[in-house]
Amino acid sequence: MITPPIGSQLVDLGSALLLLTCFGIVAQRRLSACVDLFALQSVFLALTATLVAFLTGIHHIYIAAALTVLIKAIVIPRILKKVIERLNVKRELVMNINVPASLLICGALVMVAFLITQPIIPFGHLLTRDSLAIALAIVLIGFFTMIARQKAVTQMIAFLVMENGLFLGATAATYGMPLIVELGVFFDVLVAALIAGIYTNRLQDAFDSVDTAHLSELKE
Amino acid sequence: MLNLLWILLGGYVAGILLPLCLPRQPKAQIITTTAPAIVATSAGVVLGLLGLTSSDPITGSLASTIPLLTFAIRIDPLAAFFVLTISLAGLAASIYAIGYMRHFDGRTSLPLLGALFNGFLCSMTVVVLADNGIFFLIAWELMSLLSYFLVVTEHENAEVRYAGLFYLIMTHVGTAFIILTFLIFFQEGGSFAFDAFRHPEQPLPESMRTIAFLIALIGFGTKAGIVPLHVWLPYAHPAAPSHVSALMSGVMIKTAIYALIRVYFDFLGGQFPWWWGFVVLVIGAVSALLGVMYALMEHDLKSLLAYHSVENIGIILLGIGAGMIFQTYGLKEFAALGLLAGLYHTINHAMFKALLFLGAGSLLYTTHTRNMEEYGGLLRRMPWTGACFLIGAVSIAALPPTNGFVSEWLVFQSLFLSFHIPDTFLKLILPLAAAMLALTGALALACFAKAFGISFLALPRSTHARHAKEVPIPMRVGMALLATICVALGLVPMVVVPLLDRVVAPFTGVSIEGHVLALDGWALATVDVEFSSLSPSILALLLTVLSVLGLGIVAAFGGLMRKRYYKTWGCGINLTPRMEYTATGFVQPIKRVFSSIYQPTVKLETEFLHESQYFAKRRRFEFHVEPVFQKYLYDPVLAFVTALAGRLRIIQAGSLHLYLAYIFVTLIVLLLFAV
Repeated sequence: MITPPIGSQLVDLGSALLLLTCFGIVAQRRLSACVDLFALQSVFLALTATLVAFLTGIHHIYIAAALTVLIKAIVIPRILKKVIERLNVKRELVMNINVPASLLICGALVMVAFLITQPIIPFGHLLTRDSLAIALAIVLIGFFTMIARQKAVTQMIAFLVMENGLFLGATAATYGMPLIVELGVFFDVLVAALIAGIYTNRLQDAFDSVDTAHLSELKE
Repeated sequence: MLNLLWILLGGYVAGILLPLCLPRQPKAQIITTTAPAIVATSAGVVLGLLGLTSSDPITGSLASTIPLLTFAIRIDPLAAFFVLTISLAGLAASIYAIGYMRHFDGRTSLPLLGALFNGFLCSMTVVVLADNGIFFLIAWELMSLLSYFLVVTEHENAEVRYAGLFYLIMTHVGTAFIILTFLIFFQEGGSFAFDAFRHPEQPLPESMRTIAFLIALIGFGTKAGIVPLHVWLPYAHPAAPSHVSALMSGVMIKTAIYALIRVYFDFLGGQFPWWWGFVVLVIGAVSALLGVMYALMEHDLKSLLAYHSVENIGIILLGIGAGMIFQTYGLKEFAALGLLAGLYHTINHAMFKALLFLGAGSLLYTTHTRNMEEYGGLLRRMPWTGACFLIGAVSIAALPPTNGFVSEWLVFQSLFLSFHIPDTFLKLILPLAAAMLALTGALALACFAKAFGISFLALPRSTHARHAKEVPIPMRVGMALLATICVALGLVPMVVVPLLDRVVAPFTGVSIEGHVLALDGWALATVDVEFSSLSPSILALLLTVLSVLGLGIVAAFGGLMRKRYYKTWGCGINLTPRMEYTATGFVQPIKRVFSSIYQPTVKLETEFLHESQYFAKRRRFEFHVEPVFQKYLYDPVLAFVTALAGRLRIIQAGSLHLYLAYIFVTLIVLLLFAV
């Protein structure tokens, strides 16, 4: 019989692994590796969610976890890999902020996230309550990656990382959203990934590059 | 009564929706959009008359789920009076539109034009009926936006787009001030219901009242077109389709007058320091004089009329300002007289300005130009339009026996009665305002001598004018209706004054009927003060008798009258239109006299023959009036805003990453603040 403290620690472990993959994505230059890391992160997320579902006995989280594996660990990475292959962009060459600096900033962001959630966490009674800080950190890091990287593919991955952070946050704060909301969110993410894939292709056609910095040429 | 209101609103809604549901036949579309408007405006006329005569205000309200907003209406005599004004002008414009809208067939979507027209009328009516601040603002904003869309009907024309943009910006600046005014009242009343504004729990301190007075004047003054906030008017009003111009110039700017009276006399309780009235009076006098002066220099008929709106708003404000000053000194009867004069001029101006714009629209309809220099000789070709325009011109020039004369006479009376004020300074100022009004009247007369003479008399100056035809019957009916009202309002002030007295009485606390203003049978007199009296009807009779008498004398003593149709003798040369007085030439003396105000730039280029310096091959004459307000007031502001925007442009780098970074930094900072 797993006692709640151990359960809580396991949830924390899952969350920490999510965070770790985030750092991996920030540090990684090869795009296909980034996609793999994202898939891995999604698997960790699904595992954490399953754990929460098992510990609390809330069944609909199982469905959400299964969907996470299906969409975020299998379907979306495939779409992304296809985009990468078709466009033949293998690596992130020019970065707005280089890898060491990015890692330092991400570290600072994690601290900020903990600082911000500090006053809230003691009020929580859920076994997932400590994950809230990590969830916020993942959202912030995802957002930061969108700013720090130039290639549209990386930005897509970063966006999806943010989504993962939100999912974790929802699980941490309230044991997940109502199922109908989660289904809606999954659908949205899928559509967003598709649109972003098309958008990246168009970007390639227009500028012979997927560097979003070219978009500033559209300005008058 | 509320049934009438439903008919009115239902009519407008039908006018908006019906044409959209029907087949795309121009005739069907026009009828389905104008007929409901005619029904609705007729209901409005009846509603207005009933509201004016009923003893208690009628109220009604619908609750809404939005906080602070209730769809409350209240028909008190003031609101009823404005509903009547709006509906009368709207009725004429709707009838006129049956014919005039054909002008736009194929150039714009007729159902859209009709829907906007109905919506515009509806929003104006709701503005004066609203009894809740937010409801009022919604209606006000709808009115502004719908009129903007109507202004840019012919948006393929760059000038029209400019006019529309100018109008849109000005009206929103005004609205911002109006919102501020209402927020001040909200602060004291704790609710947006007008009743809370009227009877606040904790009355405002003097300083806040002063601020409320000033920003209300700016906010509503922008819509009314007071100098120096009038600059949008000569652009926007002419750009709209003529039946809409008639409503904008005739009625829409009056909603601002309504709101000013509502705020000053109703919400602020008619308690003010003397300088409030003084400010209104000065603005009125300046607007009246400058309005007519700029009108004189216009050769675009519709712009000329738009400037005259500035003038007439000035005259209305002269009456209201005088009323406010009297109110300060407790001279309630005279205060009522001033206010009454202002309101009388309000309905008069609505009628004759709508009539003149419809007349201008008829000229535009048949000649396709608004430039007066290309008219001429139209009276013989368009006798109906000419006659109606003449009546409008006589009214606006304040000549008896028309309505403009009566209301200006009343304004003069209220200004001359200033010797009752115990303050020497004001005793001097009010007659000065009267003098400015007199000058305004004289210049208005000159202006319409020009407008009518150049447009309708002499020989046609262009092929369009030569081939002009009388306009379709509905357009004539619309104009004739307004012309009739103009004459009627001038002949029967003894019917109009008691009604207006009911409007004014709640604000001044006294009824002046038979007290200051005696209605002695057919005459109108200021009694008590034994000052002066007026009987427009007898005056009209006298005019008729005198002219008949004059003709009789000529016939009796002037020898044999034999009609001979000859050409005018042109010193042996055939007459051509180029020999006629031009509009520019007509106003030349006035331009000289007031050159310090106009600051004209005249450019004369002469091209000589090769052979001799004494023979000119061609001359080119250019003449511009300096747009003083635009140059010294608006352009600096515009330049400043543009420069500021240029500076701010730096943050709009167009980089996706930068924009994301803005959001990110904002998020982090806000989160840290929240801790």
